[in-house]
Formats: sequence, C-alpha cells, structure tokens
Amino acid sequence: MKVLVTGASGAIARLVASALSPKYEWVGVDPRPCPSETHFPGEFMVADYHSRKLDDVFKKHQFDAVLHLGRIRESQKYSPQYRFQMNVVGTQKLLELCRTNGVKNLVILSTYHVYGAHRLNPLVIAEDAPLRASQSFPELSDAVEMDHAATHFMWKVREVRTTILRPTNVIGKHVRNTICSLLRSGICPRVFGFDPLMQFIDEKDLARALILALENPLPGIFNVAGEGVIALSHAIRHAQAMAVPVPPIVTASLVRLLAEVSKIPFPPYLLEFFKYPTIISDDLFRKTFGYQPKVKTVQSLHHLGPISARAAISGASQDESV
Amino acid sequence: MLSLFSGTGYPVAIKMVLKRALMETDLEQLKDLVKKWEHFEWIEVPGLEDRLSRLKVELNSAGFDRWGLHPETLRKFAPMLYLLYHKYFRVETSGVSGIPEGRVLFIGNHGGQIPLDAMMAGLALFMDGEPPRIARAMVERWVPTVPFISTLFTRIGAMVGDPMNCRELLEHDQSVLVFPEGVRGSGKLFKDRYQLQRFGTGFMRLALETKTPIVPVAIIGTEETYPSVYNFEVLAKILGAPYFPITPFFPLLGPLGLIPLPSKVTVRFGEPMYFEGNGKEEEEKIREKVQRVKDALQGEINSGLKIRGEHIFTGAAK
Repeated sequence: MKVLVTGASGAIARLVASALSPKYEWVGVDPRPCPSETHFPGEFMVADYHSRKLDDVFKKHQFDAVLHLGRIRESQKYSPQYRFQMNVVGTQKLLELCRTNGVKNLVILSTYHVYGAHRLNPLVIAEDAPLRASQSFPELSDAVEMDHAATHFMWKVREVRTTILRPTNVIGKHVRNTICSLLRSGICPRVFGFDPLMQFIDEKDLARALILALENPLPGIFNVAGEGVIALSHAIRHAQAMAVPVPPIVTASLVRLLAEVSKIPFPPYLLEFFKYPTIISDDLFRKTFGYQPKVKTVQSLHHLGPISARAAISGASQDESV
Repeated sequence: MLSLFSGTGYPVAIKMVLKRALMETDLEQLKDLVKKWEHFEWIEVPGLEDRLSRLKVELNSAGFDRWGLHPETLRKFAPMLYLLYHKYFRVETSGVSGIPEGRVLFIGNHGGQIPLDAMMAGLALFMDGEPPRIARAMVERWVPTVPFISTLFTRIGAMVGDPMNCRELLEHDQSVLVFPEGVRGSGKLFKDRYQLQRFGTGFMRLALETKTPIVPVAIIGTEETYPSVYNFEVLAKILGAPYFPITPFFPLLGPLGLIPLPSKVTVRFGEPMYFEGNGKEEEEKIREKVQRVKDALQGEINSGLKIRGEHIFTGAAK
C-alpha cells in the first residue's frame, strides 16, 4: 500500500511512518525541509500544498491512502494569509486530488482548538458541538475553515473514506508546538485566578490513533484525547516548569512582550484556553476504533523535559516504536 | 535553544531576577506556616480518610476524575469545611438512609444569597451519607468568569447548570444537586424565605430521559444567614451580578457584613420520587410532575420549620 503523508518533517508524521515503514510505502510532503538529523522512511519532497508540485506527486504515484497532518499551526512565523493559503486552499486542493486520483482512504488531522475556549462550553465537548473558535478568535479561522472543508468533503465524496481527527493538546519529546515549548521553557504564564482543566495526548498515543484510523477506514469526525483531565497548574508542575500567574488586565500586553523577548510565539487565543476549560470527549473514538491511550498524562509531562534537540530527534527513527 | 528567555543581554538579566525572586529565596518555613493556618490543618476531621477512600470516583494518574473533581483539594479544605459544617452551622441531617444507590437528582430549596445551601447539602452527603458521595452541584452560568471561585468549584465537583452537563453526569450514574429556582431563589429577600419561587422544568425532562429518581432536599437555616432586605438592582447590573443584596450588616459593616449569621442548619432528605415518561411530553404534563416535586419539597420544608420553631440560632428545643 502506498501512502502520502503531509507535514512529513513533523514529529507525528515521522512516528507514524517509521512505525509502519516496512508494511507501507511512504511518500512525504512538507513545505519545510526535513530536519537534517532525521530520516524520513520513504521519498520526501519539499512542496507547498497549493502548488503544482502536488499534482506531479499524484501523477507520479498511485496512492491508496493519504494522511493529511500538515496543518500549519498558528504562530507569528507565518502570516494569516499564508496559513489560509496552505490550510484552506491547500487542503481543498489535496481533497480534490484525492477524489480524482482514486484514493480510497483519507485521514485528516484537525485540532480541538476549533471548538474554541468559551465560558459556556459544556463539561465535555462531543463532536457535534458548534465550532465557536472563529467567532472569538479570527486567528483560528483557517483551522475552522479547514475542518469545515474536510467535513463537507467527507459527506459529499463517499468513495473516499474520510476520517477527521480532532486531537487535544499534543505533547511529547519530539513535538515542537506552542504548548510544548512553553512547558519546556521552564516558565509558563497563566492567568491569575484561573486554573482551567486541560487534556494532553502523548505523541505516541496520537500516532497510535492515526494508525488505527488509517488501517480501519471508517468515515467520521472523532475527538481524540489522552488519559484524562489535569489542571493547568498541575500540568506545569509535572513538567518541572514554573507557573507565573499574570493578572488578567495586563495579560494581553505582557504576553505580547514575553513572546517578543523569548522566541516562543504565544498566540492571543491561547490565553482564553488558559482561562476556560475546553474538554473534549473521545468516547466515540474509543468505542468505534477500540482506542485506549497507553501513556499516562503525568508520565508524558514528566518526560517532556528540556529539549536536547539533536539527541532527541536523531534517535527518533530507531528507538521509537509505536 | 527554546528556553523562554534565550538570547543575551537583558533577557538573561530578567531570567536571573525572576529565578532569584521565585525559586532561590528560602521561604519554605514561612510557606509551611502559612499553609498550616490557611487550611486549618491542625484540625482533625474524624473519618475523613475512610470517607475519601470509599468515594466512588474514577481518578486518572493526575488525581482528577472525568469532570475535574480533585479529592486532594477536598482533603485540603476538609478541616475548614468541617468547622463550618459541624461547629458553625451545627448541621443535622435526616432521611440520609433512604437515598437510593446510583444516579440521583437532588432538588433543593435555594436562598441566602451565596450557595451555602449547596455546600451544606453536599457536605451532608459526604460526611453523613452512607456510602459517602459527591453531589455535583449545578451552579450559575456566570460562575466560570469569577476568578478563584471557578477553580475551587470545579475541583470540588460543582459545574455550570447546563442541561448537557446534567445529562452527562446522570448518564454516568452521578448524584446531581439542582436548585430549580435558580437566581430567583438565591436572591430572594428575607421576607420571602422558605417560599419556593417558580421552578424551571428542565430538571424533570432530564430525570425522565435518564430514568433518575428525584430526592427533594429541604435545607433549613441557610436562608437566614444573609437576611437581605433589599435587592439593589442598579448596582447589580453595573457589577454584572444577578443581584446585589442589602442586609442589616452588608454593606454597612464592610467585610464584617460578609460573615454569615450562625443559624442552626438542618438538611432533610425526602422520600425518593420515581416518575414515568421519556422527557418528550408537552410542557403541561411536565409542569404537573414538577408541581408534585415542589409540593413534596415545600412539605419537607414546612415540617422542618415546624420542628425548629422560633429557635433560628439554637435549633429545636428537644
């Protein structure tokens, strides 16, 4: 079976691909070059998702399945226009290519951010909840649009079995998203007086979930969460970081300053996620796919540790079995 | 490479100052002392460990349950709550043994400006219930926006009173505590005490849908803790609060006026009520069933008041 994976220079794509590398033939695409120390188990190509290069990839290979993990995260590194081009236009192009090239199975990785952090959020959010994110956070609109595009495609094009996963905060040794960077940095801001519940999923568990979705093609939208909930302050403590409570009145400006001084982007919407809990229920995914997270949240946070980039990433291809 | 204050020059200086201030200062002893007093740790709560261990909760590796209940927080606050429950309000309970196993919907009377009633009913179930259980109190929608309170409430099992939340909890066989009067009840004036205000009907639909027995809970005493004589609506609107009570002591005496009056509290659990239906009936039929619950609760309140008589602060003469 031949599989195309987008976001191939990311940690999750590498974990999934190396776990299934002898069984499947992998082709990786990413707008970012693959980190030099790492090895992608298969053909790797640098390409934007909305460029003509992607057509050529589909002309060259006949894919059975596509794993779309290449959503560009919200950060100051990329402009909103670029993110819209990649995440919305690029995804639409990829979906169209899947349809015209007879791809049988498609897995799309969205995010739980699409639900938005809101004081009226229910205790646990199921898949049919409204996506409030774009209403309060324009910077998340591309994520919501991408999720919508994927959902429309799932209903409209039945011959491609499409599974959409909305994972909670992904953490792990190799992951380099905002929440991981904050927890690793040793100092993590939080909103004074608020200590919301959070969920975390370990990179290995997410890789396992993706493999399940890839191997048992069942169309649908599924939340994917880790072991359970934990308060933000507890999570920060377990990650051996120091929580710095910031008064709500000055948070926005202070966080902007912190983001400028440090190299870690702190998108403003994250503050709301640090104020109101956004807990998702993955009961449906567990029931449908028999998924069971194996890594305990506390362990995962403990092992986050300060990143020693080279050692950790170069080890990825050999010792990480999912 | 990814440390928060990487680079050279003043970011390094900031980092050093922060670290000095927050980590290297030796305040451990002082901290311990403050902690000891903060939560009244010198008070022994009889049977606390036993009760905590017999709670039917599923905890994850971080010590939280599915909805954010954190028994460790409960343990921390237990001495303080015990003082309030046993020494200050001298709570007495009746009818605890008649509560059915499994999912239960407790319907209580609301009053007294702050949710002391929910706290006392919840503590009655934890301290005197057999087996001890955590009642998930349904709180007002604005609570999540209140700093500290929102966090504490989540840790000890209170949730926003949304039908979705209530359904989720009942489907998982939890005990839920609902005040169908809502703010109409908690904000009521002293002259209206123990007169049930209009009941919402949502709780009945949920009970029918999830086949949950209803237990009326009469909480006597908490409605006298803050004798509100006037609701300052204009100020409430400005503050974004649902009501702003004026009592003989608040705001006249400032923070002192915030101390609740030490009335004697009785928590009376009524007979469990079972209703037939699927929760999709017309409003008329639901209202009829709600009225039956309301009558049962009012009856329970009235007999409680009768036993207490005029002795608000000392309780019934025995």
